[in-house]
Parts: sequence; structure tokens; C-alpha cells
Amino acid sequence: MLQFLREHPHAPIYRNQSGNRLTHEDIEQVRRFERETFAAEVGWRTGEHPAWLDDFVGRCFAEVPFYRRYGSRPKNFADIPTISRAELSRDIAQFVPDTVSTQRLINFRTSGTTGHALLLASHPVVAAMYLAFHKKALRRFGIELRYGRGQVGVVLVGYQRKCFTYVSVNPTMNESGLAKINLHPDDWRDPEDRAKYLDALAPEVFTGDPISFAELAKLPLQTKPRALISTSMALLPGWREQLERRFGCPVLDVYSMNEAGPVAVADAAAGGHVLLQHGMYVEVVDSEGRALPPGERGEVTLSGGFNFCLPLLRYRTGDFAALSFKGPEPVLVGLEGRPPVRFRTMTGEKINNIEVTHLLQPFSISQYTLHQKQDGGLSLRVAGLSHQTDSVRQALLQLFGAGQPLLVETVDSFDGKVVQYTSDLREETA
Amino acid sequence: MKAEGPLLETLTHRLAETPEDFLAEPRIGANGRIHVAAVAADLAKALGINMEVADVAALAGADPRRDRNRLSITLLLCWLLADEWFAKNKLPAEAVLELFARGSAQLAEQVASARFVTDPDRREELARFSLARLGYRPAGETVAQSQDRLTSLSSAERARVVQASRAAEERARAIREALAKKAAEESADKFTRE
Repeated sequence: MLQFLREHPHAPIYRNQSGNRLTHEDIEQVRRFERETFAAEVGWRTGEHPAWLDDFVGRCFAEVPFYRRYGSRPKNFADIPTISRAELSRDIAQFVPDTVSTQRLINFRTSGTTGHALLLASHPVVAAMYLAFHKKALRRFGIELRYGRGQVGVVLVGYQRKCFTYVSVNPTMNESGLAKINLHPDDWRDPEDRAKYLDALAPEVFTGDPISFAELAKLPLQTKPRALISTSMALLPGWREQLERRFGCPVLDVYSMNEAGPVAVADAAAGGHVLLQHGMYVEVVDSEGRALPPGERGEVTLSGGFNFCLPLLRYRTGDFAALSFKGPEPVLVGLEGRPPVRFRTMTGEKINNIEVTHLLQPFSISQYTLHQKQDGGLSLRVAGLSHQTDSVRQALLQLFGAGQPLLVETVDSFDGKVVQYTSDLREETA
Repeated sequence: MKAEGPLLETLTHRLAETPEDFLAEPRIGANGRIHVAAVAADLAKALGINMEVADVAALAGADPRRDRNRLSITLLLCWLLADEWFAKNKLPAEAVLELFARGSAQLAEQVASARFVTDPDRREELARFSLARLGYRPAGETVAQSQDRLTSLSSAERARVVQASRAAEERARAIREALAKKAAEESADKFTRE
């Protein structure tokens, strides 16, 4: 399989090497975890905590140096201080439990779009466990992965000037193939090889982000994936629908982060992102770290997780949503990355950025930024928008008022993640 | 330590029976319930001690991650000093305020507050530490006896803390080194990017 992936006549220039680094015991552990993940229900009753949380908090206070320094464990969960990216970035070693061996630790690096770069502790088993949640998300949409020996299961597509690329096999799926590729023409001997190679691989699933999928959609592919999984940045429903039409399969929008792995998947029928991890408790908190009641918007805050090298206790993600319950199932409604930004119309009316998100959802936009200048003028930069520029302009003017100065600029693509909403006006943060 | 104070057992027994309100979460920002500065000010008034604004401010706390253990210990000290023996004896104001602010900070670096209630050795240490800071020794003990016992209790704990702290530093260094060696992209396949 590795030879096929690497030495195919249309293969890209693979620049790096990776591997699953799993032992027999690890593979069994990952399989057990997968069975547990499928069987477990995710959720808790409104106003209550999941049953496992109490033991988890106890372990954190006993085994994790950072939490131990808080002193005695508070009686109420709500009295545990919140943490953020700043604490993780200061010294990640303080978050690794005493019980974790250092022998097989690995790191995930993440730069983010603003603020603190992060170096996170992880483990090959943790990396392999991601698949359980992707399978759980796919099951929600009626898809059971079938790939096995001799087939390519997943191709991760990126579209960046510089990208870590490799081929590997997945021992938990019978040594099926896995490739991480860069669609940027610089990584190929001939840009036309891209479609030929991907058709030869015929993966069951593509994973990527709205930008790399925009590039994938341009290729004359014959292969029919069974699903696309989008992570890493916001996927607007309009763009998702266009991708679904293009590839003839479901496109899953998975809310995922290096700190916690796949947290939730968007499901329109549930009205938002439904949670995936049975060992993750999610709160929405205000600026003081107080848990908000269902329906109120605030910062998504995580406790628990499957990365046993990095147990999270009230970790503020920097992402915003409201928590609602569809039966016993918690749903993140109106999920947005980064703190809210309030724009101002020329008449002084305040407009929260979520209104702009709702407004732009129907359009086929793979990525965009909206900035308000000191003089109130708006500047919208969009990628993936070909023929709808005027409609987008009209929609924004309807929201902000006809007299709103507005510059709409189309770009081929952004280079990676962007901060979606920014403002030069004071008190822009809602 | 020159003056004879109350019986040690009275104080350790008192600590063992600390009421819930004195074990509750100190109020820091929006967190917690008990305003430690207010409790301390009430006690000080009952002891005939005047707390200045700066003394009260020192017991406010700003960051729960950093201050909650210290303030939880201050709260325990308030409970301890509310014993009737202290009310009957004129305590040196400066020493009381010093105990509330810096004494609790010193103890907080070594021990989680709840252990001063649940662990017999730590109860004894808190009782002896407080008496010593106020210039007293337990009733029935000589100065030498009480000094020896406090030194032995706190040195043993300090030695444990120093050893644990060295081990923790060593482990943190090992973790940093292990992480620096192995970037996940090169050592574990993941199925999506973040």
C-alpha cells in the first residue's frame, strides 16, 4: 500500500514521513475505545453534570500539577477556575498527569489565528482515537466506513504553499491506506496529476477544510467519495451544500481543535453542532466564567476529553455558542470562532457578527473576513464567490442600511486560517 | 512563644470540627461564596483590632487560580482565632494581621487548605504555627518543647514539599524534552487537521 501511494506515476512530491506508531496493545485499546464510543450516549440533563465528571475532577486535582496548585478541590464544580489558551501556552508540562509516562509523548503544535502559539502533549493512541469520533459523526448521517486492506480509506487534503505531507496505513482498519497531500501545484510534477492520482486512490473519505475543498472541487475528479469531513475553520451552509452537490455525498462540518480533538458535528436537523465525545462536558460561560443557562450565548468551555496527556478542566476555547438541549442531547447553537464583534451602522445601531454570519450562510463562500474601519466603512473579503458578489453586497446593505460604505473584494484564497470579524471601532467586543 | 496559650487539643479539636461556612469557597471575582476579608474584619473587630483598608485589600484576592488556597487558609485561621480563649486574651494586632496575610500565604505554598482540617499532623501544625506567630505556646509545654515540636512538624512537611517540588521540576523538564523531540505530525497519523 505504501509503495502504491508513494510510487504511483501521478503521485505528488511527498515531503515528510509519519506513521501510526501503534503497538498491538495500542490497537486493541483503540478498538475498545471505538466500541465504547459507539455504545455511549453523549449528554446529561439540563442543570446536572454527567456521572463521570466527579471522578475526573478528583483525578485532575490529585494527578495534574497545574490543577493541584489550586489547593483543595472546591465542593461545587462551578467554583473551579476556568483556564484558557494562555495557561496552556505558558508551560504544557504542568498539564500532563503524574501517571502518564514520558516515553511515548508526542506534541501537536498550533499557531492559531491570534494570540498564543501552543505546544500540546499527546500520544499515538490519542491520535488514533480521532477516527472513533469521525465514524460516530458519519454514522449520524447513515455512513459506515467499509474500507480495508488494499484500499485507501482517507485522504487529507490541504491547500497551502507549505504543507506537511506523507503516506501511511491504518492498522485499526486492516492496514488500509492513508495519505496527507497538498493540492498546491508546487507539490506536483504536473498539476493535472492531482485528479489522476486521487482517482487512482479512490478514497472512501476526504478530510480537509473549506479552502482545500474549494480547490478539490475544481479538479475533474471521477472518484466518488462517500463523505467529506471539514474541520479547522467555519464551513458555511451555502458552501457545504455546493460541495455536497459537487461530490454527491454528505459534507460534515466537524468542530475540532488540537486541545480537545473532534468536539461536535453540525447537524441541521438538531439545529446546531451535536457533541461527539461521551467523556466531554461542555458549558457555555460568561466573561467571569459563570455557566450560562441553555439558550444564552457565551464562550464554549470544555472539561474532560480523551487525550489522557492533557485533561481539560473548564478550558475556555475562545469559541462562542449557545447550549441547547434536543431531548437529552446537548447542541451547540450558532457556533462561532473567536469573541463576538459588534459592528456599527452609519446610524449608530449595533450589529452582532452572528447576524452577518446568518446573512452570508446561503452563499457559496469558502472563506471570508469582514472588517470595520475607524470611519465606519466596511471591507468584505471573500474567497470562493464567483458570480454572487452583487447579491452579497445587497444583502449586507439591507442589514447595515443603504448609506453604508462597503467594499467587497474577491480573492482566490486566503493563506490558511483567518480572523473572520475585526473592527477598528472602540467597544467592538460584545 | 514566651507566653502560655490555650491547650493544644482545644485548638486541634476545633479545627477538626470546622463548620461548613469556613470550608466554603472564598469569593474571588465572580467565583465562590465567602468574602474572606469581611469575615476577617468581623473577627478582628471582635478581638478589638482595627483593620485598615490595606489590610482588608490584602485579603480580597484577584485570581482564583492563584489566591483561593491562601484565602481558604485565612478563613480557617479566622475560625481558629474565634475560639473563646483568644477573645479573652489581648492579641497583638500586628501579629494577627500578619498571620492573616503572610502566614496564610506561607502555608498555602505547601499545603492544600483542606488538609489542615482532615490531617491530624496538619491540624497540629496550623494550631502551633498560629500560636507561635501570636507569641504563644500550647498550655503545659515548655518553650523548648513547643519549638521542637513545631520545627519537627513543619520541617517534615517542608522536606516533603521540597522533595515533591524537585521531583515535579525534574518531571516537567523530562516532559518538555520528550515533547520537543517528537512532533506529532512525524510520529502519529491523525485523520483531520485542526
